[in-house]
Amino acid sequence: MLKDRLKALFKSYDPVIRQVIYEVGEIEQQYISMEKPRGIMKDIDEIITRIAREELAQMSEKGDTSS
Amino acid sequence: MKLERIVLENFRQYYGQQKLNFARDRERNVTVIHGINGAGKTSLFLALNWCLYGRNVENIKVVDNVGELVSKEAINQAKPGDQVRASVTIAFLHNGHRYMVKRTLTGSKLLTGKLALNELDQFTMMRQGTSGRTEPVMNPLGTMNAILPVNAREYFFFDGEKIDNFSKPEASAQVKEAIYLVLKLEMLERSQRHLENTATNYRKELKQASGGELRELLEQDETLRQEREKAIKRKDELEKEKESAQRKVSEIDQKLRDSQNAKTLQQQRDRLEKDLKQRRIELMDLVEQIRERATSGYPILAQTAVQTALTILNEKRERGEIPSNIRQQFIQDLLDEMKCICGRPFAEHGPEHQQLLSLMQRSVPSSLEDDVLNTTATLTAFADKNHQQQALLSAHMRKRTELIDIIRDLDAELDDVSRQLKGSPLEEISRLEEQRRNFMSDIDGYSLEIGARLQKIEQAGKDISNLEKKIAAARKEEQRSQELSLKYDLAQKAADAITEMYQVHADNMREQIEARTKEIFRSLVWKESHFQDVQLGPDFNLEVIDRYGQSARPELSAGERQVLSLSFITAMAQVSEEEAPLVMDTPFGRLSSHHRNSITEKLPLLADQLILFVTDEELRDQARINLEKHIGAEYRLEFERTTSCTTIEEA
Repeated sequence: MLKDRLKALFKSYDPVIRQVIYEVGEIEQQYISMEKPRGIMKDIDEIITRIAREELAQMSEKGDTSS
Repeated sequence: MKLERIVLENFRQYYGQQKLNFARDRERNVTVIHGINGAGKTSLFLALNWCLYGRNVENIKVVDNVGELVSKEAINQAKPGDQVRASVTIAFLHNGHRYMVKRTLTGSKLLTGKLALNELDQFTMMRQGTSGRTEPVMNPLGTMNAILPVNAREYFFFDGEKIDNFSKPEASAQVKEAIYLVLKLEMLERSQRHLENTATNYRKELKQASGGELRELLEQDETLRQEREKAIKRKDELEKEKESAQRKVSEIDQKLRDSQNAKTLQQQRDRLEKDLKQRRIELMDLVEQIRERATSGYPILAQTAVQTALTILNEKRERGEIPSNIRQQFIQDLLDEMKCICGRPFAEHGPEHQQLLSLMQRSVPSSLEDDVLNTTATLTAFADKNHQQQALLSAHMRKRTELIDIIRDLDAELDDVSRQLKGSPLEEISRLEEQRRNFMSDIDGYSLEIGARLQKIEQAGKDISNLEKKIAAARKEEQRSQELSLKYDLAQKAADAITEMYQVHADNMREQIEARTKEIFRSLVWKESHFQDVQLGPDFNLEVIDRYGQSARPELSAGERQVLSLSFITAMAQVSEEEAPLVMDTPFGRLSSHHRNSITEKLPLLADQLILFVTDEELRDQARINLEKHIGAEYRLEFERTTSCTTIEEA
């Protein structure tokens, strides 16, 4: 029941935000047993940079198609 | 996570290969493993933990102070130098995937009979997807943490006799940690915090990134291009006007050529102009040559130094301080032949012979002689070349002066022709010359203006080229800013979304766990009418309230504390909605028959998979009857007294 509520809330976010949350959550869970995981901020930056670049490329493609 | 099978090989008292299949059926979800004290229940429980997590993960101890992990019997059977291996393999199911994990420890037997263990154990994880394909998992430790974190395992794999920890007054931190880990709140909290920090960093970077520079540069570029375009247009107009004026001059010249009275003067002017044109070309070429010689003739600057060096060398040679320019070999040849350069023979000890011997003494080894001669030759050649260059440059300068004089004379002659034509008594000729002068004046004006425009166009071209480089750099910076801006937006929105999810999750979960713990606890304890309520406060204190509205936790018996803890763990697992096994070592040891009976009756219905390590005394009478219908697998650990080894037998 709680899971369903969370799923519904999760689905209400923009797909690109969902992707960030999903990937960051996945990596956080992998490091969960470490008190201060080394390199996690770098991993998060890589995730966001990759997703942002994909998003910009898509925006650029859409722009090219519409023009 | 649902456990499927465990295979032990030479692990503690489990010599050889021993395996056990866990019950996974929804109705018959209980696996019972019987063993008397010391038969190997705890070793099997240990094997499960060690296989999944090793001895420790970071600073979390998983297997501590338990002695040797490798079977002593296996070490005993091996010869010195033999490799001995202990391993545990577990197969389990999780989220539609089947996983197989194996941890192996190897060592070689020493002459002393002991085992020299390899420092690191080997851990492999394979995953089988729904398609049936099996592939290795690249990050097994991270994957294990994602399935069941090492610090959350103790809430699912536990020693029944020590389970009452949660119900102790000082356990609120442990209760909170358990909830945060099992319900993934810890993951959400860390994700939110790290994303917030990342967004802050992006915001700082964005502030430093230049804003609006590109637009400004593009505006400058546009202005410059417009100005250049305007200059080109004006230059083209001026060139047309100049051509028109030149045509007019040509027409006038033709008219004067056709006129009997002006013909001679005009022809003279034609010749002078042709000559002047030629001389001007010559002057231009000459100036260009002078410029080239002047720029490439920098060695002239070294002329004084070269000359000084040559003078010093010659003076030293004259003083005999450095070798003469007569080679040692040449003197030796004359001495060998006893002949003068002219071919005349000379006598030994004669003056010629003495002179040559003297020269020979003053001469130096041929290598030094060569160096001095080479240096002198190089400096001399250098000085000669400089002299030639200087002479040529001087000749060019003289020629230039001559050409300038010729041009001046030709200009003067042309002026004279013009003056004569202007002063012609014939009005037509005088008027034509006057017009010609005006047109020539216009042409000069146009030429000046065209020159100015060309200069402007050239400068604008250079400025535009520089600006283009700046625009390219600014465009790159703008793209970076755009990317940074999007990254900031993504990080901040994701952090905000997680905050929202966390609030929904955290607010509900505590209430749900509280309600579920209360329900389970009241169904398991026999004094359900005495214990009125179970509370899980905002400070995560697990509290039991008695019928008088008082805290009953300090008065709970050890068995009741165990039941409360078990209720909390089961409630947490249910609220998390994550499939997980409950593995309990000696679960009923401290429980009275009433609690034992109620737990064996209810627990199989509350857990997805239940694995119980029990003594025969723990599971008998009504408890055994209660559990019977849920048992899907049952094993007995048989300890062999003659070998001190245990085998796993199906019961």
